[in-house]
Amino acid sequence: MATAAIRTPIAASFGQRTIALIPGLLLLAAVGYAGKFIELSINAYAKAHHTPFPDIEFVLWAIVIGLILSNTIGIPRIFAPGVATYEFWLKAGIVLLGSRFLLGDVLHLGGISLLLVAIALLLSLTFMHLLGRAFKLKPKLTSLLAIGSSICGVSAIIAAKPSIDADDEDASYAIAAILALGAISLFTFPLIGHALHLSDKAYGLWAGLAVDNTAEATAAGALYSDAAGKVAVLAKTTRNALIGFIVLAYAIYWSSRGQAQVIGNKAAFLWKKFPKFVLGFLLISLLATVGFFAKPQLASLANLSRWAFLLTFAGVGLRTNLRELGRQGWRPFAVGAIGEAFIALLTLGLVFGADHYLKL
Amino acid sequence: MSNTESAVSRPGPSLDLYAVALALLAALLVRFNLIPPIKW
Repeated sequence: MATAAIRTPIAASFGQRTIALIPGLLLLAAVGYAGKFIELSINAYAKAHHTPFPDIEFVLWAIVIGLILSNTIGIPRIFAPGVATYEFWLKAGIVLLGSRFLLGDVLHLGGISLLLVAIALLLSLTFMHLLGRAFKLKPKLTSLLAIGSSICGVSAIIAAKPSIDADDEDASYAIAAILALGAISLFTFPLIGHALHLSDKAYGLWAGLAVDNTAEATAAGALYSDAAGKVAVLAKTTRNALIGFIVLAYAIYWSSRGQAQVIGNKAAFLWKKFPKFVLGFLLISLLATVGFFAKPQLASLANLSRWAFLLTFAGVGLRTNLRELGRQGWRPFAVGAIGEAFIALLTLGLVFGADHYLKL
Repeated sequence: MSNTESAVSRPGPSLDLYAVALALLAALLVRFNLIPPIKW
């Protein structure tokens, strides 16, 4: 239940833009740290009083505090530019998380993810288009919803919008639906994972394959366990790496129908759409694998990644506005919701299969 | 539209490149002990 309600005003100079980030950054840090403080306080209380209390990760607290703030008092405009940096911290955090993977693990799990992503993509794109036709959605809105739900949420929709000449309104609808569904996944995926007694690896792979937005997939994984969060990021990163190919395929399709510009240099197009943080993640993982970092340094990098994610999770709650949900039509949301349920079930089946046959 | 879009569609190097540069810089600072160990 989310839409991005925060707009970033355009500041005149680099200095002004930098200063404009400070209030929102402080808010991200305050909300994220409050989440960590609540987790630590509850754990300390439970330990001191020998009271059994479930260990609720700071991730959930930070998101809930952000949600409450943005949906009650609202977020004043002065905080908007800084809060909008949450995605920047997410990407920096993912690159640093590469230090916790040996390249062999990346290739093993990444290879399995790639195989599952390819199968899931094919089936989910087909399913979404059938659904869009059944609900009589505009074809380009259906394309955006299919790209968003099967590949990579908001980033994929943004990458695809100019390439297929989609309307602003269609992109807004698709983004709103994808964000809303991502917020729902955050709370439902961990519950389902625990009910099915999924292992950390299986759950992480599932979250990475099924949850759309990278921030929500990272949070959904971290809500389950630290190890699941790691695997979720790896699987989601594999999915992200395919953005360019899918967007290119759609661009070629729509241009062949005379409804989008023809793509000239396809290699340059692919590079432009390729998420560069995937390369940063692989580079850090390679450096960690060849022993470039000592063990305490690896621990420092892992902690830096956690701090970056703390800012990200605060941003996920703060940018979520429940009121905006009512302003979008029900049909795009229904198509997105049914499609997401299908993708969640499909990927769950694939993960069970991979766990059984490929040994995660 | 979303704040993500405003960040992604602006001119100049992408958000990704800045994030990668910052992360690599932090990794080098840690590697050469130019910053104290980071605690969680």
